[in-house]
Amino acid sequence: MKSFRLEIVTPDGQFYSGDAEYLSLRTISGEVGIMAGHTDYLNALGMGEARVTINGETRRAACIGGMVSVADGRVTVVATTFEWADMIDLERAKNAEQRAREALGAANADKAEQKLNEARLKRALVRQSVAK
Amino acid sequence: MAGSMKAIKLRIKSVKGTSQITRAMELVASSKLVRAKERVQKSRPYYETLYATLRDIVAGADEFSSPFLTARPVKRAAYIVIAGDRGLAGGYNANVLRLAEELIKKDSADGIDAVTLPIGKKALEFFDKRGRQIYSRAFSQAEALRVGGCFSMAKDMCGAYLKGEIDRLTLCYTHFDSMLSQSPRFVELLPLTLDAEQGAHSRGQLYDTDARSLFAAIVPEYVGGILYGALCESVVSEQGARRAAMEAAGKNAQEMIEQLNLKYNRARQGAITQEITEIVAGAES
Repeated sequence: MKSFRLEIVTPDGQFYSGDAEYLSLRTISGEVGIMAGHTDYLNALGMGEARVTINGETRRAACIGGMVSVADGRVTVVATTFEWADMIDLERAKNAEQRAREALGAANADKAEQKLNEARLKRALVRQSVAK
Repeated sequence: MAGSMKAIKLRIKSVKGTSQITRAMELVASSKLVRAKERVQKSRPYYETLYATLRDIVAGADEFSSPFLTARPVKRAAYIVIAGDRGLAGGYNANVLRLAEELIKKDSADGIDAVTLPIGKKALEFFDKRGRQIYSRAFSQAEALRVGGCFSMAKDMCGAYLKGEIDRLTLCYTHFDSMLSQSPRFVELLPLTLDAEQGAHSRGQLYDTDARSLFAAIVPEYVGGILYGALCESVVSEQGARRAAMEAAGKNAQEMIEQLNLKYNRARQGAITQEITEIVAGAES
């Protein structure tokens, strides 16, 4: 299979830089799959599972927020969070879910706090679904 | 004479105590500096890529595809100001706050209403004292602010921009030039004033989503990323400034101790000489 250059960067550093054969992501307009020779493309990322095929091996990851661009056959993923499935701390995600649910149930928080907690809950759920 | 000797001794003791504190603070700042520097180096590729990608998009899009790209008459400007939570960091807090204050003063001379969003306890106190409008007090702890906080703040500000509550968003932070020098800087985040000329892509790109909603999704991410990068830079600068300030303070303390020791010895010698003179005078009589 033909491969393309893939770069994944997050605020915690350059996550991956190398060749890949296939990349699938959840964008704000739905699931998108990218293979070598894709036309120039740009979209914002949603929250969900990403699958990357490197040397015939498919790896799954939790990918949250950011954007994906294809330019001159180079694919760049600028993500807020990108974690391989085996890197995810399931226990921590479960705890985060519980904490977020409790905070949401408390209901005395202001609107900004509420939004933060909702985002926390969503992230925890995405992580759990990918890790399983 | 005996009285002044005691006073000098007490003074030496207190200066020694102070120098121990500054030494401890210097060590703490050094170790924090190493960690903060690592964080900056790690986060740099992220916002460099972010910046480059966005610049390409802006180059490809026309001005009317998103309100983020159109500059409008400024009635209300917002300032995000990143300073520290604690003092004793040389000019770190003062420099960046002075820069922000100057910008705000210039705005009010032009009839522009300014609202501040302080990050860090020192920034909040500063703008509180001057009676500036404060957009949110939620970010008074700079050290506690993580990626998530930056992104939710960016989302809020972009929302306020789209609603027309603010017409311009400026970020004031401290850039880490080197261990010895940190300089306060400001950057205008909204409307997007990227150097579109340098953008590589003028040909059409394939979009799934229409440009308007695409920008609405990407711009907050971009602002959040830049904000996080600036926060990392500022934290490094703070530790660097504190380390340098504490090193200087330690040196001064050493100098003072030396001088006081000299004084003390002179006083001691003086007292002994006087006693001998007294004894000799007593024996002669």
